[in-house]
Amino acid sequence: MDLMFYLVTTVITIAVVMGVVLFHVAYITYFERKILGDMQDRMGPMEVGSHGLLQPIADGLKLFFKEDIIPTGTNKIIFTVAPILVLVPALIGFAVIPFGRDSFTIGPITLHPIVTDINVGILYILAFASLGAYGVLLGGWASNSKYALLGGLRSAAQVISYELPLGLALVGPILLSGSLSMVNMTTAQSGTALNWFIFVQPVAFFIYIISAIAETNRLPFDLPEAESELVAGFFTEYSGMRFSFFFLAEYANMILTSCIATVVFLGGWHAPHPSLGFIPPIFWFLGKVYFFLFFYIWIRATLPRLRFDQLMAFCWKIMLPLGLANTLITAIVFYFIRNY
Amino acid sequence: MASWLNKSVSLIFFAEILQGLRLTFKHIFVKEITDLYPHQKRVLPAGYRGVIAHLRYDDGTEKCVGCALCEAACPSHCITVVSAEDPKIPQRRFATEYILDVTKCVFCGFCVQACPVDALASSPEYEMATGNKRELMMDKEGMLALGDRYFPDRAKRPPYTEDRFAFFNKLKASEFPKSHQGVTTHATLKTLSEVSS
Repeated sequence: MDLMFYLVTTVITIAVVMGVVLFHVAYITYFERKILGDMQDRMGPMEVGSHGLLQPIADGLKLFFKEDIIPTGTNKIIFTVAPILVLVPALIGFAVIPFGRDSFTIGPITLHPIVTDINVGILYILAFASLGAYGVLLGGWASNSKYALLGGLRSAAQVISYELPLGLALVGPILLSGSLSMVNMTTAQSGTALNWFIFVQPVAFFIYIISAIAETNRLPFDLPEAESELVAGFFTEYSGMRFSFFFLAEYANMILTSCIATVVFLGGWHAPHPSLGFIPPIFWFLGKVYFFLFFYIWIRATLPRLRFDQLMAFCWKIMLPLGLANTLITAIVFYFIRNY
Repeated sequence: MASWLNKSVSLIFFAEILQGLRLTFKHIFVKEITDLYPHQKRVLPAGYRGVIAHLRYDDGTEKCVGCALCEAACPSHCITVVSAEDPKIPQRRFATEYILDVTKCVFCGFCVQACPVDALASSPEYEMATGNKRELMMDKEGMLALGDRYFPDRAKRPPYTEDRFAFFNKLKASEFPKSHQGVTTHATLKTLSEVSS
C-alpha cells in the first residue's frame, strides 16, 4: 500500500511538472514573439484569440497535422530517433528542480514541489544536458544535407566547448554549499538576498549566463541554426512533429537553464528578505525564472550573431581561464575562511 | 591612463551590451508603428492614385464619350476603348467597350488628366489581390461601380482632373438638359464663356 501511494504521488508530481513545463514552453514562444515585437516597435501575433493569446495552440495544432517528410538518402532510424534524443534530456532535467518549499497534502497523497531530490542533482542535469548534443549531431548527420551536417557539427563544437565554462561556473556555488543536491544548494542561500550566490560568485554567475545562452543555441550564439548561412542548421530537413520536438527542446532547455540559474545563483524559492516571506515560495521561484526567460528574449532583441571563430575564441580564451581562475580563488578563499 | 582604465572597466562590466539592453528595453514602451492591416487601414492622402474609376453625371448617365484619348495617353497600353454612336441620339458617342488591364496599369494617372470630359478618376482602391487574374481585366461596369463607390459626391472635383481639360464637362454641367437634346444656342456658348472665366 505504501509503495502504491508512493507511485501515485510520484506519477502525479511528474505529470504536474511536465504539464506546467510544457505549458510554459508553449507560452514562452508566444511571449518571445510578443516581447520581440514590442522591442522592435511591432505588435507580434494579434490574430488568433485576443491579442494572439491562442497562437501557441494554433501553432501546435498546425505542427501536429503537418506532413512528416523523411527525405531520401537519410538514415531513417537515426533521423527518427534524433528529435527524441534532444527532447527527452531537456525535459528530464526538471526532475531535480525544487520549485518550492512546502509540500501539500490532498487526502492520503502528499505532493512535493520536487520530483526527486537526488544527491547529485546538478551533475545529473549536466550529464543529461550533454546527451542533448548527441541528438543535435545525429539529427544533422542523418539528414543527408550539407546545411544540416554543418549545423550539427557547429552545434556539437559549441555545446562541447561551452559545457566546460558552464561546469566550472557551477563549481563555485557547489564548493560554497558543499553539496550537489539542488535542495541543499537552495537552503545554503537562505536568509537575505546577500547570501545568494549571485553576490558571492558574480563572475561565476556571468560565466554561467553566457554559457547557458550558448548551450541552448540562443542568440547571439545561435550559430548552429544561423538562418542566413545554414537555412535552419541541424533541423533543416525536419518537418511537422519532428521539427516541433527540436523546437520544444530548445525552449525546454531555456526554461531548464533558467531554473538552474535560479536555484544555484538566485536562491531558488527564497524571498530576497525574510520579511517578504508572506509571498509563497513558488511565486518567488517563478518570478526569478521569468526574469531569466525575459533576459533571454531581451538579449535576443539586442545583440547580433557572433562569428564562429569569435564564439570559439571567446569560450577558450576568456570564459575558460576566467572560470578556472574563479574556481581556484573560490576554493582557496573558502578553505581559509573555513579553517582559520 | 584614465582612458585605459575607463576602457577596461567598461569592458569588464559589458558597458556596450548594457547600453544596447537599455535601448531595447526603452522600446517596449514606444508605441507600435505598425497597423493591424486588414482590420485597421491607413488614411490615404487626398491625391492617392489607385485603380481608375469611371464617373457618372447626376442623372446616372456615364460621362465617358469613348474618345479614346486615355488609350492614347496610357504609357503602359493597358486601356482599350471601342466606341460607337448612340443610335437614339445622333452624334452622341459612347464607349461600347472599355477594358482596363489592372495587371499592366502603372497608376500614373495620365488617363485621368487626358480625359476631356472628366469621366475618369483615380480611386483610392488599392486592395487588388485576387485569386483569379481575370478579375483584374476591368470592364466599364466594374469601373463605374468603383466610381459610384468612391466618388458619390459629384459636385466635388476628383484630384488630377484639371480645369483646363474640363471644357466639355462644363458645357454639359451648365447647359445639361439642352445640350443633352442636341440643341445648341448662342446663349449656351455665352454661358460657357462665363463659366470658364
